[in-house]
Amino acid sequence: MSAAKRVQQWATFARTWHIFDCKWQDPYQSANIIKKYLMGLHKPIYHPMNDCGDVVVCINSREIALRGDDWRKRAYFHHTGYPGGASWTLAWELHNKDPTMIIKKAVYRAMKGNLQRRHTMERLFIYPGEEIPEDIKQNVSNQIRQLRLVPQRLDHIPEEEVQQYPKVMEYPPDYVLK
Amino acid sequence: MALLIKSVFSFLKQPIFSSSLRVFSITKQLNLKEFQESRNGNKLIIEAVSVPSTRTDLLVRADKIQDLTPAVIDAEKPVCYLCKLGLDIKHTDVLILSQFVRSDGCMLPRRITGLCSRQQKKVGTMVSMAQKAGLMINLTPSRCKKDPKQRYGYKKFNTYFDEATIFMKKIPDQRDKFKR
Repeated sequence: MSAAKRVQQWATFARTWHIFDCKWQDPYQSANIIKKYLMGLHKPIYHPMNDCGDVVVCINSREIALRGDDWRKRAYFHHTGYPGGASWTLAWELHNKDPTMIIKKAVYRAMKGNLQRRHTMERLFIYPGEEIPEDIKQNVSNQIRQLRLVPQRLDHIPEEEVQQYPKVMEYPPDYVLK
Repeated sequence: MALLIKSVFSFLKQPIFSSSLRVFSITKQLNLKEFQESRNGNKLIIEAVSVPSTRTDLLVRADKIQDLTPAVIDAEKPVCYLCKLGLDIKHTDVLILSQFVRSDGCMLPRRITGLCSRQQKKVGTMVSMAQKAGLMINLTPSRCKKDPKQRYGYKKFNTYFDEATIFMKKIPDQRDKFKR
């Protein structure tokens, strides 16, 4: 085997580390993207018996965005196994307790329930803020594109830009400014 | 007898009340106005000063734009300036939505915005979506803490909205798909 082919072989089977910024992202939509990288579905050499999945590091999981009234309507079920041991936790209550849990459960559910799933989940790192340990940061070599644009708040846009932005509505002539 | 008394009362009422309701104005009425307070010694003067609109130069209208592909408009319904522009406005476009609100973040009524009823509902809903998402936090009532993170309970977390739900008669419940 030539030297070039040998390097290609290493590069093919090496684990790549991806980073994903969860800021203003829907966890259930981004779980489908994260899943592909975790399982290695984006690689041409993919096979279920072939351990070719990558590592994904999720940051800013505290800043995820849920759609509409999902924060107060979505419930997470847990059962202790004892009679009367069922409990339902709303999404916002769960996020208060552990800001990494929603994205973790979303990725877990996006994957098919087989023996490989728990091992694949070991390759997912989730951090609530922007700070990640240095040894993990060193490995990261790729960034996964975000699905949704991070919206800009009006008070974060400079005042001059807001004034000079093209206007659609004109006040009627007898309008009293408020 | 009662009828006679009633007619006498109504006859007396008419000149008294109608004259008190009549509006007199010394200044020019049809102008964009701003309330200004000034203090002259012990006197507090509150006056409505007419000001030129800052928006006139920046105004975008469909008939002023060359080579604009006309938006598909149903000729039956009344057409407003926003329909003609054919913009795809999202609830995150706060630079556009903030033009339709008062300084306390409240949507302006239709007689002031001049929109058609469909656009008024669409813009109004998107304004409330942007407010719920905390994107126009500087345009809120004065009692607001001006920080979305300080809100109570579920409101402090980021939320986004789907504009397709604005004209839905009923927003589908996710649990309904398990029904037989």
